[in-house]
Amino acid sequence: MLGKLSFRNAKRQALNYIIYFITVTISIGLIFSFNFLAFSKDVSELSNQMEYFKQVIVILSIIIAFSIAWLINYTMKFILEKRSKEFAIYQILGIEKKDISSMFVKENIIIGAIALMFGILLGMFLYQVLISIVMNIFKQPYQINIVFSYKALLLTILYFVLIYGIIILKNRKKIKKSKVYELLYSEKQNENHVMRKVKYNKIIFAFSVILLLVSIFVVKYTFSFGSNVSFNLVLIALISLIVGIYLFYISISGFILDFYINNKRRKYKNSNMFLYRNLASKVNTMSITMSTLAVMFVIIIIGLNISMLMNNMLNNEMEILYPFEIMISTTDGDFTKYKEYIKKNSDVVNMHEYKIYTIEQTPLIEALKDTSLRDRKYNKVDNVIKLSDYNKLREMIGYSSVELSNDEIIVNTISTASNYINKYIKENGNYITACNKKYKIKQVEDINLGQLGFNGFVYFFVVNDNEIEFIKENEISSDYLSNNLEYKLVVNTKEKTTQAFYDDLCSYIKTYHFPQVGIYDGIEKEYDVEISLGNVLSRGQRIGETKSFYTIISFSAIYVSLILIMISATLLAIQQLSESEKYKYRYKVLKDLGMDEMDMNKIIFKQIFIYFLLPILIPVLISVPIVLSIGNIFTLAVTYKEIIKNICFVFGIFFLVYSIYFVATDVQFEKNINEEI
Amino acid sequence: MENLLVVDSIQKYYGSKENITKAINDISFSVNSGEFIGIMGASGSGKTTLLNCISTIDNVSSGHIYLENKDITKINDEDIAKFRRENLGFIFQDFNLLDTLTVEENIALILTINKVLQKDIDNKVFELALKLGIDDILNKYPYQISGGQRQRCAVARAIINNPKLILADEPTGALDSKSARQLLDILKEMNEKLKVTILMVTHDPFCASYCNKILFLKDGRIFNKIEKGDKTQKEFYNNILDVLSLLGGDFRDVR
Ligand SMILES: Nc1ncnc2c1ncn2[C@@H]1O[C@H](COP(=O)(O)OP(=O)(O)OP(=O)(O)O)[C@@H](O)[C@H]1O
Ligand SMILES: [Mg+2]
Repeated sequence: MLGKLSFRNAKRQALNYIIYFITVTISIGLIFSFNFLAFSKDVSELSNQMEYFKQVIVILSIIIAFSIAWLINYTMKFILEKRSKEFAIYQILGIEKKDISSMFVKENIIIGAIALMFGILLGMFLYQVLISIVMNIFKQPYQINIVFSYKALLLTILYFVLIYGIIILKNRKKIKKSKVYELLYSEKQNENHVMRKVKYNKIIFAFSVILLLVSIFVVKYTFSFGSNVSFNLVLIALISLIVGIYLFYISISGFILDFYINNKRRKYKNSNMFLYRNLASKVNTMSITMSTLAVMFVIIIIGLNISMLMNNMLNNEMEILYPFEIMISTTDGDFTKYKEYIKKNSDVVNMHEYKIYTIEQTPLIEALKDTSLRDRKYNKVDNVIKLSDYNKLREMIGYSSVELSNDEIIVNTISTASNYINKYIKENGNYITACNKKYKIKQVEDINLGQLGFNGFVYFFVVNDNEIEFIKENEISSDYLSNNLEYKLVVNTKEKTTQAFYDDLCSYIKTYHFPQVGIYDGIEKEYDVEISLGNVLSRGQRIGETKSFYTIISFSAIYVSLILIMISATLLAIQQLSESEKYKYRYKVLKDLGMDEMDMNKIIFKQIFIYFLLPILIPVLISVPIVLSIGNIFTLAVTYKEIIKNICFVFGIFFLVYSIYFVATDVQFEKNINEEI
Repeated sequence: MENLLVVDSIQKYYGSKENITKAINDISFSVNSGEFIGIMGASGSGKTTLLNCISTIDNVSSGHIYLENKDITKINDEDIAKFRRENLGFIFQDFNLLDTLTVEENIALILTINKVLQKDIDNKVFELALKLGIDDILNKYPYQISGGQRQRCAVARAIINNPKLILADEPTGALDSKSARQLLDILKEMNEKLKVTILMVTHDPFCASYCNKILFLKDGRIFNKIEKGDKTQKEFYNNILDVLSLLGGDFRDVR
């Protein structure tokens, strides 16, 4: 009979806590599918870098396991509280405490086992979806096939059993210690947490706001210097952010009360009094949980944004850095060996050989002075290409040619820099002085022709072929830049270059050795210095790497954030729903006092809405400026528009998942309140 | 006749040092086997507290309670469950049936814990259900039956294991007068035929008139004690009303 009881209780519990049950199931599904994916041979064979995927996923799974443990523990606590009367009856009927607790354990094992089973089924399905996405990213053919990974399964079960086991044991102890009287009357006890009087409420509140602002400004300051970010400053920002959030939520409940209760007119408007009393007392007891959720939300939102920024950067850099399939630079202009190999081993579509000239830095650098792009022009020179070469490069990637008179110049830059340059031109006139000669800027182009390292840095200039003799006279000597890779060869081939092709090409790079004397381990030593006199870039080789990192970053980010959002929202849902029993009585009083159901549902909606809104309020407000600041160091390759797009996308996903939980909670809450006992 | 239950100068305090409520302030009485005792008193007079102490739900602050000469205030934690299921039956004001079990299972639960054979359980449950008029709803769930039926189910659950003492806290509180009367008839019959000892807390003088002895509590003390003797139920009822009007409080206007 007790077994039967366990089973039915489990069923009822699962139904009552359907939101929780679904969350746990989905989480298990996600854990399983991602571990499955990480251990999949198909995936690890995609590229060398995919090995990291396994490590990342396993580490993240541990973090996730802890979060799930938090959720389960929290829910278990609520379930125990809610069922205290039932446990009291068992005791009064003379059932031994050890039987009661083993019944509880059985119930939870049943629920857990079902969630685990469904989760793994779901995970197997999710795995198929995930792997086809990965294969699609790598443009590999893939057919759905039923495979199974015992490693992933064992790992998932291990996480689950550990979490569940510990929590069940903990709660079993709690039941064994419980007293009938307390269980029986706990329901009737008033919420005995008298509003914690936060004494210096206003001061704490003001302080929290200051801390939050400080964190925003420290982040803004820290990330305004380009890529060399100070770790200490980030730490300061992080600490003030976290402390600020906690203080904010601790002090806010007092404010809700002050605001609505101490103001008679507002107090009696509609059912405000009822609503805000409920709310303030709840927020007060929940402030720590709410703060923790808020901190988590900030981390999720910022983390997702950073991961998207990194992906944008990878993608955009790919385009900026590799406009041609093969890009070779040398110091001597001797490309014969390379060309031989390329012609022999691939179908050349087009090819061009040219020289890029190095001149002294022009005042145009001023245009970039407040941006992180300035870092990229560290060698304090500018570069020039002649018009015929420029037109040839354009033609190779499908652009029409341009014309230029002798005293005109074209600035070819990257799209993120073109805004600054245009602005500079607007303010300082349409002329530029290069090699002490004034040129008229004909146009600013942002076609990707490798101007991030291959053809100059951030931008290069184009002059008429007639001008090139003059430029040559002013060229900075090669001695100054000891291995100036000024001769270029760019090739487009029909097929994609492979890693092996790239490795072969690299073997033709000439090197220059010379001995140098230096102090090494305190002993003066002579050692050999090797300098490469060439450099090879190949798009095909790079794309494999890019795609691996792209996959690792986006999959991990989605994995963690999805589960964390779900867990947090479930926590809020459970919190509200478990209270619905208690509220049932309060709402019944309202009903008896003559409030109709519509109005009541409105209050319920309002209550749950505010409740769900509070923990995301600060994260949303604070993460936007922080993400914008962090985006600063990505501006090299990521445009402002893309950053904004990312923010919208992240909020979109976040709110979608979050509001599903909100609506589900609202519906379930109304159902709980309105159903007769 | 032997004393089944002896309550020996018990006290029960609630609250902290600064703010003490004396819910029971020195109560002593004894109950003979087979008696049907009523406990009456104004709200807050300590009735529920007294019942909770006797039923081991709550601990006394001082004093002793003996059931068949065994001091139940001294039973340790391991033995308490066994003690409860072998000696006590409870009927609560608000039924407290387990809503995941059917009526039949609710009644049989305690027998299965006592490891009675399944066949005997079935017979016993059916017999009792027949007697209480709930044999036709045995397979229903508590939320599918009426309040009166639920309360009868609670009675069945309380007496199925032949407890020495049945404790009832306002068992008719949630019932209409017809169902209440039915229930009291059942309790009375059990008391008379099966010689079950019953301790019943009630607010209602009519209910109390079913008892053969009534204790009146006031501010945690026994204020008065009356016995039915050979009075008719109607005479006893009037007797109760007289005491209640003496007692004052919220009973003054019942007549
Ligand atoms: N847990 C508790 N903490 C503090 N005081 C309590 C507690 N339980 C009961 N009391 C107090 O003890 C006194 C007796 O309470 P009790 O519940 O026994 O009254 P009662 O006679 O059953 O009343 P009613 O007829 O209303 O049920 C009351 O004054 C009550 O306020
Ligand atoms: Mg009472």
